[in-house]
Amino acid sequence: MSQILLALDTATERTTVGVARLGQDELDVLGTAVVDAPRAAMSRLLPMTETLLATEHLTIADVDGVIVGRGPGSFTGVRIGVATAKGLAHGLSCPLWGVSTLDAVAWTFAYNEVTVAVVGDAMRGEVYPALYRCGGGKAERLTPDRVAKPADVAAAWAELGQPLVLTGNGLRKYAEVFTDALGDDAMIADEDLWAPWANGLFAGWLAQLSGEGRGSGDPADVLPIYTRLSDAEENERIREGLAFASPPESGVSGGEPA
Amino acid sequence: MTLYTIATSDEAATQAVGGALAPLVAPGDVVVLTGDLGAGKTQLTKGLASALGVAEPVTSPTFNILLVHEGRIPLYHFDLYRLTHAEELEDLDYWGTLEADGVSVVEWGDRFAAAVPEQCVVVRINITGDDTRLIEIEPRGARGEELAEAWCAASAGLPGVNVGSGGEGQ
Repeated sequence: MSQILLALDTATERTTVGVARLGQDELDVLGTAVVDAPRAAMSRLLPMTETLLATEHLTIADVDGVIVGRGPGSFTGVRIGVATAKGLAHGLSCPLWGVSTLDAVAWTFAYNEVTVAVVGDAMRGEVYPALYRCGGGKAERLTPDRVAKPADVAAAWAELGQPLVLTGNGLRKYAEVFTDALGDDAMIADEDLWAPWANGLFAGWLAQLSGEGRGSGDPADVLPIYTRLSDAEENERIREGLAFASPPESGVSGGEPA
Repeated sequence: MTLYTIATSDEAATQAVGGALAPLVAPGDVVVLTGDLGAGKTQLTKGLASALGVAEPVTSPTFNILLVHEGRIPLYHFDLYRLTHAEELEDLDYWGTLEADGVSVVEWGDRFAAAVPEQCVVVRINITGDDTRLIEIEPRGARGEELAEAWCAASAGLPGVNVGSGGEGQ
C-alpha cells in the first residue's frame, strides 16, 4: 500500500513543489515544479501545487503526508512555506515533516563523491554556510546552521585546502568572494541547483529515518529555521527598539539638523 | 565624502530630477528618501516612476507601507512611518525586497539605522521657498557614489534645475 507525499519549499526566491509515491521500500518522485521569481511564493505556491497534483491525476485530498523546507532563507519565504504546509497538513489531518532547505540543496549531490559547500543568502551582506560530505547516495552534514560574512566563510573554507563544490543562492551575490579565496579548489555548481528542488527535500526526508529521526509528524512540532541574528545585530535591534519605541508624535519627519 | 546638491525651482523640476534617475537604476538600488511633509518626496518618486514606465498613479504608501509598481524594473515604494520597531522590517520581507529585482524608494527610511543599506543614496529634500527645494544626496558605498554622480550629471541642464558643485558632508 503506497502513500502520496507532497513536498514544498519557499525559503529562497524559488517556489518549489513535488509529489512522490512512497511504496514499501522505495520512494518514486512523480513530478516536480519550480518557479524562480522573487516574492512569488504567496501567489504561486498553492496554484502550482494544485496543477502539479492534477498532472498526476491527483487532488490535494489524495495527499497522505507533507514535507516542508524549514529554511534558513528569506524570513518571509520561510514563514509562507511553513505556514502553508502546516495549514495543509492540519486540513488533511495528515503528518507534516520538516527538512532543512540547505540540506535539500546538498542532497542533489548525494551521488557525487565530493564535499559540497552550500552558501544560502541571508540578505544584508551575510550568508548561511554549511558543509556536506556527499557520496554513495548520502549527504552528511558537517557543520551546524549559522550566519556569517561571506569573506570570513570563504577564508575558513580556503584553509581546508580541499576541492569544494559550491552551491546555494548566496552565490548569486558572492560567487566571486568564494572563487577568489578558493582558487582552483572552487567548483561552482550549475546555477539551476543553487535553490532547492523537491527531489532534495524527499531525499533529505528519507535520510531522517536512519539519522536523527523524523519527529512526531505533528504539524505543531515542525518549526521554521529563521535567521539567528549575530550578537551585533541583536544589540543594534535592542538599541533601536528602545530608541524608536514609539513613532514621532509631531507627524513630520525629523527636520532637525544632526 | 561628497554631499551632492540639486536645487529645483518648482514641483515639475523636482519630478524631472526623479525622472533623471530612472535610466540609471538597476535591480537592488535603494533611495532612502527624507524631507518634511510637502517637501516633495512623492513628487520625486512620481517622476522616477513615470520615467520607469509606471502607468498607474503613484501615491504615498503611508497606510500600505509598501506599494509595488511595475515598470522597466519593479519600483518598490516603502513608507516606514507606521513601523514601531526595526524587527517589523522582517515582517515586510524588507531586505528580501530591497535585494530582489527592482529599485526601492524608502520614505522615512532614516527612522531605523538597520533600514539604511550599506550601498544606497540617502536623499533629503529641503524646503527653501514656496516652490523651491534643495535636494541633498548623500551617497553610501561605492554604488551610492556612482549613482549620485550619474544622477547629478543627468539632472544638469533640466529646466528649473540647478546642480550644485557639491560640498563636504559628514
